[in-house]
Amino acid sequence: MRFASISCAALGALFTAAAPLTALAQTEPLVFYGLQMEQLEYRAGDAGQDLLVWDGDAFVGTDEVRLRWEGNGEYDLNADLFESATNQLSIQVPVSDFWDVKAGIRYDSPDGPDRWHGAVGISGLAPQWIEVDSSLYVSEKGDVSADLDLEYELLLTNYLTLIPSAEMSVAFSSDRERGVGSGLNSAEVGLRLSYDLWDRMLSPYVGVAYERYFGETADFIREEGDEADMFSIVFGARLMF
Amino acid sequence: MRKLNFTLSSMAACLVAATVTLTSFQALSAGSHAGGHGGASAIGEPGDAAKVSRTVEIRMFDNYYEPENITVSKGETVRFKVINAGEFVHEFNIGTTLSHADHQKEMMMMMEHGVLEADKINRDKMKMDMGNGMTMDHSDPNSVLLEPGESAEIIWHFSGDKDLEFACNVPGHYDSGMMGDVRIN
Amino acid sequence: MNMFTLRAARRALAVAALLAVQPALSHAGTYTLTVDPVTIDTGDFKKTGIGYNGASPGPVLKFQEGEDVTINVTNNLKEETSIHWHGLILPFQMDGVPDISFPGIAPGETFTYRFPVVQSGTYWFHSHSGFQEPDGAYGAIVITPKKREPFKVDRDYVVQFTDKHPHSGARIMRNLKQAPDYYNREQQTVGDFFSDARKNGLSAALDDRMAWGSMRMMATDIEDVQGFTPLINGKGPDQNWTALFKPGERVRLRFINSSAMTYFDVRIPGLKMTVVAADGNLVQPVPVDEFRIGVAETYDVIVRPQEDKAYTLFAQSMGRTAFARGTLAPRPGMTAPVPDMGDSPLLTMADMGMDHGSMAGMDHSTMQKEDPAEMQGMNHGKTMNHGTMNHDDMKQGTMKQGGMDHSKMPSGGMNHGSMNHGDMKQDTLKQGGMDHGKMPSGGMNHGSMNHGSMQTQDPFYAAGSGLTPTPSEGQGKFLSYSDLKAQRPLYKDREATREIELRLTGNMERYIWSINGVKYEDADPIRLQYGERVRFKFVNETMMTHPMHLHGMWSILDVGAEKWDPVKHTISIAPGTTVYSETEVDATGQWAFHCHLSYHAAAGMFRKIIVEGGPDNTADITPLKGAIQ
Repeated sequence: MRFASISCAALGALFTAAAPLTALAQTEPLVFYGLQMEQLEYRAGDAGQDLLVWDGDAFVGTDEVRLRWEGNGEYDLNADLFESATNQLSIQVPVSDFWDVKAGIRYDSPDGPDRWHGAVGISGLAPQWIEVDSSLYVSEKGDVSADLDLEYELLLTNYLTLIPSAEMSVAFSSDRERGVGSGLNSAEVGLRLSYDLWDRMLSPYVGVAYERYFGETADFIREEGDEADMFSIVFGARLMF
Repeated sequence: MRKLNFTLSSMAACLVAATVTLTSFQALSAGSHAGGHGGASAIGEPGDAAKVSRTVEIRMFDNYYEPENITVSKGETVRFKVINAGEFVHEFNIGTTLSHADHQKEMMMMMEHGVLEADKINRDKMKMDMGNGMTMDHSDPNSVLLEPGESAEIIWHFSGDKDLEFACNVPGHYDSGMMGDVRIN
Repeated sequence: MNMFTLRAARRALAVAALLAVQPALSHAGTYTLTVDPVTIDTGDFKKTGIGYNGASPGPVLKFQEGEDVTINVTNNLKEETSIHWHGLILPFQMDGVPDISFPGIAPGETFTYRFPVVQSGTYWFHSHSGFQEPDGAYGAIVITPKKREPFKVDRDYVVQFTDKHPHSGARIMRNLKQAPDYYNREQQTVGDFFSDARKNGLSAALDDRMAWGSMRMMATDIEDVQGFTPLINGKGPDQNWTALFKPGERVRLRFINSSAMTYFDVRIPGLKMTVVAADGNLVQPVPVDEFRIGVAETYDVIVRPQEDKAYTLFAQSMGRTAFARGTLAPRPGMTAPVPDMGDSPLLTMADMGMDHGSMAGMDHSTMQKEDPAEMQGMNHGKTMNHGTMNHDDMKQGTMKQGGMDHSKMPSGGMNHGSMNHGDMKQDTLKQGGMDHGKMPSGGMNHGSMNHGSMQTQDPFYAAGSGLTPTPSEGQGKFLSYSDLKAQRPLYKDREATREIELRLTGNMERYIWSINGVKYEDADPIRLQYGERVRFKFVNETMMTHPMHLHGMWSILDVGAEKWDPVKHTISIAPGTTVYSETEVDATGQWAFHCHLSYHAAAGMFRKIIVEGGPDNTADITPLKGAIQ
């Protein structure tokens, strides 16, 4: 599976580049690393779907520049196949107190022909603590698309967190081979209730998610006999290392 | 209102033997001083110069006394020659733990209101009306409060039989150990 | 043979020659320290760490003023180490900062420190390499003075605070970089929002959250690193470190805060404490009920327990997330009640340096023409008339005058006339530090002033700050920096020859800490000339409190006491405040200057200082790289 080998290689590169922290009086920039899985979950869909879903990122670098891997995908447990898998590797640099810009490549592997994309994006913290991540992509075929992820953490207590999230993707042209139509093609909203079980390393959660495909994309999906929307109950854990 | 006279001779002015006569004003908390706690007889009273049996020299340093303890006989009248050999204001006050504790509060107020500074006494401010008819005068027969270089005398008649303490009640000084025992035989 | 032992041998010969002539004059002691991997048991958890002579904390090193000490330090770790003698005045090559004073001590090596002890008091030592200090590499230093001390004590104890965390220092740093609120478990929750809404109204609560949210800062950001167990001399609260006394004895407690990140508010319920020294130097004694000890500071206090009973030594962290506890007792095994910790404080807009937004509720009469932006550090010059000021309707935090400095009023009166403070609640009078102490003459008429429950504002906190210390027992005296006055000033008071502004800056979200917006790795050294007196102006533009530590030279903290200004080695600067300290530049060489919060220093709030010139011009200012093999 190419996606797996690519993401493994990317992660390996990230972690081997991480130098140990040394002197207190540091004259060389400190190098840090980290890995977060925002979502790593089982989804039970309203039409009997069984899915494994992940969305995470890792970084290595300094205050000035970081190499960042982002990956997400879905694995259909019933059909035993990958619905989607995306890996993105970017160089990310800060541009203001709360915002970074990033530029890199994205690779979409299973489900239809693989696609390489060039990617540019922003990542940061908007006022009122809304985490924002958004990228613009140009595929090897010249198709332009964009996505936007938003997330907020509402502290019910200092350990119990309610996390509303929203993602959407837009294509500016259709890529029929991959089942992507032009216009707003998908959106997902979620609400997860997470409990920090072990520091912030392991935070199991339960929640709900609603995904919906729109326009041409929805038509492509219906043509394949699938549902264009899905409500699901999710169980999973957030991880941070 | 109590009245008394005592002599303050400054070290600097000792050649001319300058004599300052201080008149007592109403103390901040009237009646809490000599004779306030446990009655006058407990700590004794101002003595008669003619009955002085001996002179004890007390040198005040920052922030300790030499000697550190005194022994007297019951009924004895002692002349204390008190010299401030330090760089800070110090007090020599004969009393009890309780009377010192009360006096420390007053001295703290004097410090807070600028009457007392680390190394000087603003005697003019002592007479100032605090707005409630009270002043922060410091003049009790059982104590002297001296600037660096000053010296003074106290003649004291030890009529009680309980042990006493002599102490400096300038804020912090007593607590850090500027006090000694007056053992009465 | 390395350079140090050569030099030391030469010095030893010279010393020997002197000794032959005047045997009584000099005292020389040799000490041995090994740097070892150790296990630290806090009572809450066990953790491998780093210690000295097989334990953390290491031994108490007892020196004598005037002694020439030789300390052989053997590194038994698998990594480089170093020891910095915190607060000691010594040749810079002996200061123990890798890359600044020396190359560090390699694994398996023994490094010999040799220096004359030119001071007395309470100090400490710690590693200046990596995160070895938070991992346990610290110990205490007690130096006996030549002269009689200005107090009497019967017993003497070191009380060394540390904040032992289950995570290693390196891991904490990485977690903070990944998620700056990783360890903050005191964040405001939905429940807090509703309770605020009930108390202050929904719109006020909403406004407050929106104000913080728009800055993307947290009112709860007081302790970056929570989840530690505070220790006293290596003992956790349940292990109850105990000091013995006989009733009536005077006990000197030498408090040292060797924590990586934690300030403590210290008290002994039932006992007055008399502060007699700060950062090793004597101060004019101040009786207090409670004091705050910043990271790396030391305070000596004297207590005199009179009763035959146990007293609890209680030190709660400034953020009220944990406490250290010990006991003073006439006999071992005795305990006294342990108080509850107070509520966690919240930062205010004043701590953000934004305290002028709500001035509308205050009638400043003639002051109103002033630009509110300039009101911090307002100097009232000759006279001040509070007569027309109406404080009646003040609500919490509505009056924020910044640090009013009355101390320079040369003459003339201050008339508080009919000022009515009656309805004021605690903390509502925020006049900055009204320092009446220095009015040389002229009357102060408090007239019919009703102080009610007025608390004097500590000028070393922003007016309206959420961090302003208040006595935990409700009343009593909380030590302020402005209470510290040198008992024996080390230097003649004189005008500074120049001022250097150091803005303390940072970005909490990225966990970047810097000075003047520049991290250590990107900064040029600060160059000072031997013989000058530099005035440092610290402007804290962050919401954290920073204990700034200058190596090698004293920091004379400006508390407005002029010749009595206290002499310190670490100066804590609260958020939203400007603090001045002056340094007589009297030590050639290169020195470290940094925030002593371990993770702030590592993140970049650090500078190298180079002192040029001086009598010992032969001293090579470049660190002796490769001098030890």
